[in-house]
Amino acid sequence: MKDTGIRAHGGSHRPAARTTIACIVVGSLALLGPWGSGIAAAQSAGCPDAIRVGMVFPMTGREGRPGTYQVEGIRLAMELINAKGGVYVKECGKRLPFKEILYDDQSDQGRTVQLVERTMSSDNVVAVIGAYSSSLGQAQSVVPDRYQVPWISPGAGASPIYNQGRKWIFGVLAPVELLGYTTMKFLGSLVDQGKLEKGLKIAIVVENTDHGKEYVEGVNRWVKENPGAFKVVYNESFQMGGTDFSGILQRMKAANADIFLSDAHLQDYITMHRQYTQMGLRHRMVSYGARGTEEPARKALGPAADYIFAGIWWHKDLPYPQVKAFVQEHKKKYQREPDSYYPSTAYDAVRILAAAIESAGSLDRTSIRNALHKVRLTDSLLPGQTLQFQENGQAMTPFVIVQNKPGDKVDFVYPEDSRTGEVVTRIPR
Amino acid sequence: MGLDDLLNLFVAAILLAGIYTAMSIGMTVIYGVMKMVNLAHAGFMMLGAYFALEMSQRLPIDPLITSVLAAPVFFLLGIATHRGMVRFVPVADEPTLPSLLLLFGLWLVLQNFGYAVWGADDRSIFTPLTMATFRFGGIVVPVIRLIVFGIALLSLVALHLSLQHTWFGRSVRALTQNREAGQLAGIDTGRTAMLAFGLGIAFTGLAGALLANLYSFTPDFGGSFMLRSFVITVLGGLESFSGVAIGAVIVALIETFSILVVPANYQHAISFILLVVVLLVLPGGIEGLLQRWRRLR
Repeated sequence: MKDTGIRAHGGSHRPAARTTIACIVVGSLALLGPWGSGIAAAQSAGCPDAIRVGMVFPMTGREGRPGTYQVEGIRLAMELINAKGGVYVKECGKRLPFKEILYDDQSDQGRTVQLVERTMSSDNVVAVIGAYSSSLGQAQSVVPDRYQVPWISPGAGASPIYNQGRKWIFGVLAPVELLGYTTMKFLGSLVDQGKLEKGLKIAIVVENTDHGKEYVEGVNRWVKENPGAFKVVYNESFQMGGTDFSGILQRMKAANADIFLSDAHLQDYITMHRQYTQMGLRHRMVSYGARGTEEPARKALGPAADYIFAGIWWHKDLPYPQVKAFVQEHKKKYQREPDSYYPSTAYDAVRILAAAIESAGSLDRTSIRNALHKVRLTDSLLPGQTLQFQENGQAMTPFVIVQNKPGDKVDFVYPEDSRTGEVVTRIPR
Repeated sequence: MGLDDLLNLFVAAILLAGIYTAMSIGMTVIYGVMKMVNLAHAGFMMLGAYFALEMSQRLPIDPLITSVLAAPVFFLLGIATHRGMVRFVPVADEPTLPSLLLLFGLWLVLQNFGYAVWGADDRSIFTPLTMATFRFGGIVVPVIRLIVFGIALLSLVALHLSLQHTWFGRSVRALTQNREAGQLAGIDTGRTAMLAFGLGIAFTGLAGALLANLYSFTPDFGGSFMLRSFVITVLGGLESFSGVAIGAVIVALIETFSILVVPANYQHAISFILLVVVLLVLPGGIEGLLQRWRRLR
């Protein structure tokens, strides 16, 4: 009886289950109808009305300022491209404008991952441009391979992000390791020219992030390759967002170094260099990595920011016609010149994406990804004027070294062929 | 490190302690009378910093003097905040969820207000005093830090005198010690709470304005200072004003001298390790320790 009962129950259930499933499927299709038919229509027409690009940046919070500047660079590039009719997509047989889908991650690592997932899964984007800062970039970079959407970062330079074997990530910033290496190469060139003595002592104080660690790796690589040129006598790291650096600076003072090298984000650079000056510390040369020329820092530090040198990804005075045109357009749109590299790499990220779409001739994400690996932007704003991604997805453009001079002036001091002023190797007291 | 280096570290720690005391005392006043952890502390500090910036740009007087103006302005702002929202939170003898949520929400509102008004750019105040130092033998003293320390010290003396010699001060001390006994003695708890909240916000705004002379700031400013204030307040014994001053000195000394034995990138963690240790070993904080010592005598 039991068996029969079960069979009888099961027998009556199976058709009911099939009916239910069929209803769910039909209902779902009905509900999805407008959307589904929209996609079908787009596919049958071949193309959407615009190239949708996801953007996830810190517009507020700790990294709000550089993040906002990067968004401005992206918008400027999109506006200029759209003004010319957009990007030519061969399979559509016409030009399509860019359309931004922007999210603010509030400088929060958890939120930035959620937003990248959201835009890659729900916004029907062909690519995502995202992340200012290596730490936010590190967080975002795990998502693109999962959703198979090309991701380009104009603001994450730490190479561990790109050395994980991921296939869908690209970075416009050259590795921070190269920044440390170029800084030392510059100092080495000063020894060769007799402007610095051989065997000077170096103190290094960097933020405890991939950015800082990689900077030290670059410095150490050069020091190892050039034994006897310089001697590292102090090497310490600090946690980002510090409120007091007196202890670390006092210890550095005791190391009695000749040259002080740091790698810090803007707020830490300002706080640390204020304390450095207030403590009466003096070194022949001082650098805070890529920081130094920013307008807020020069306002906050006054003459104390003079003679600080920096290895930078870009500067508005680079002598290329495309840089002059970019600065003019930036000024026209935002009523100010760019005071840092932030908008320039973002601007080039859009242009290299446009070049990849044109090269792919399609809005297919895999085709765009493959094209990004091959394409070369030969009128890049960055030093060397050519932007191309390496095998691991990261660009390898050279750094230039600049030095602040009194009166808010900045001189290019390295490499020699781009020099606009004499390097000062002993900061005047 | 030589003796001069150690003395320089000691001076730096004491000057830092002055700043820490100024920023923590507001939290202690509010907790003492109202048993509320002011999670909007960072928001009011940030407003204090921007107040100093705006005043320094508008008035032809030294930003340090305009910073002092923050105290009366933020006292009124504190009173308005109490009248407008805080007084509706039920009174309790320990922090309640509504008070925590209200003040946390207020912090977020203030932060976003900051972004809307001033944007995300780093701002700072720079005067000829910013980088000035004077030497005393081998010891280098930053003038601006010394002045900030002096103002913080003077404001603490003023607080101490008002707590000892005014009706309001006696009411605050009575409510801090025993709310019910205070009520039975005829203290107007509502009015005292309102004035105490105003006083706490006045100190917080003053601390923010003073810190603006030392650090660059954005609307995010104050978060790490608030966490330190919390550590110092707990270390001081939550309701003790003298405990806060001693706690600030201890935290500043430990943070500054820990560099000699602990890598600098653990400096932030030290305060929080200290917090855990105090909560486990010394739940009454320094004030509890002092009371035990007095009883033994």
